[in-house]
Amino acid sequence: MATVWITLAVIGGVVVIGAIGRFLWRHRPQSEMSGVPTAPLERLGWIGLGVTLVIGIGLAILVALVGTDFIDENTTARGIFWLLMIVGFGAWGASWYVIKRRSGGAVVDERDRAILARSLSVESVIVLLLLVTWTIVLTEMYWDEGVMPITYLQLIFWTTFIGGAFGRSLGIVMGYHREIVVDA
Amino acid sequence: MPKANIANGIRRLRFEHDEMTQQELANLAGCTRQTIIVLEKERYVPSLSLAFRIARVFDRTIEDVFEYHDDR
Repeated sequence: MATVWITLAVIGGVVVIGAIGRFLWRHRPQSEMSGVPTAPLERLGWIGLGVTLVIGIGLAILVALVGTDFIDENTTARGIFWLLMIVGFGAWGASWYVIKRRSGGAVVDERDRAILARSLSVESVIVLLLLVTWTIVLTEMYWDEGVMPITYLQLIFWTTFIGGAFGRSLGIVMGYHREIVVDA
Repeated sequence: MPKANIANGIRRLRFEHDEMTQQELANLAGCTRQTIIVLEKERYVPSLSLAFRIARVFDRTIEDVFEYHDDR
């Protein structure tokens, strides 16, 4: 039964990522916008998307190979997870300083701030989707036992943290791909 | 691609001001070059504050730079 729900959750995740990819493709920059250099914040958004996807996939592989107990029992797997987190989010943070140094003049202005503010709605949807998925999967898996392993709490936290960062990056990238004019 | 209902003459005014570059205008108005680019393509409506700063760079009134179109 657990396998069925985990499979459904993975399929759901693939469908969500597919829908996101479809949106970005449909709203890709048109010919009249070609040659426009990428805004510093948009570059940060793309880097964030890559970093969070790599960490998320890495976490999924660890869970698939070692199981959900790796957080408490397997030191090597836990080390790999922390290495992914520190290197990934560290590289993301460091990239902002590199982008700032390379850009002449203002780095973030009112248009960027408006896009950044609107990206919160995408982050909220992703976090909500993750929490709903966890709730359904764990309820179905452990309904009969009435209790669940404590390691799931940590997994819920880390997936929500990574998913939130993914959602924020996605919101930023989608903001720059909108055809509609952004009012400040 | 839809355009903003506020047109502007920023590109013309830049060329009338010694062919000022987009980056120079961005530095003087306090925004990024990307914002100047989308403004010239009329894909973005600036805040009043930015509109005034751009008008001031060209030593013009805000109506000389920006024009409202109801029919877009």
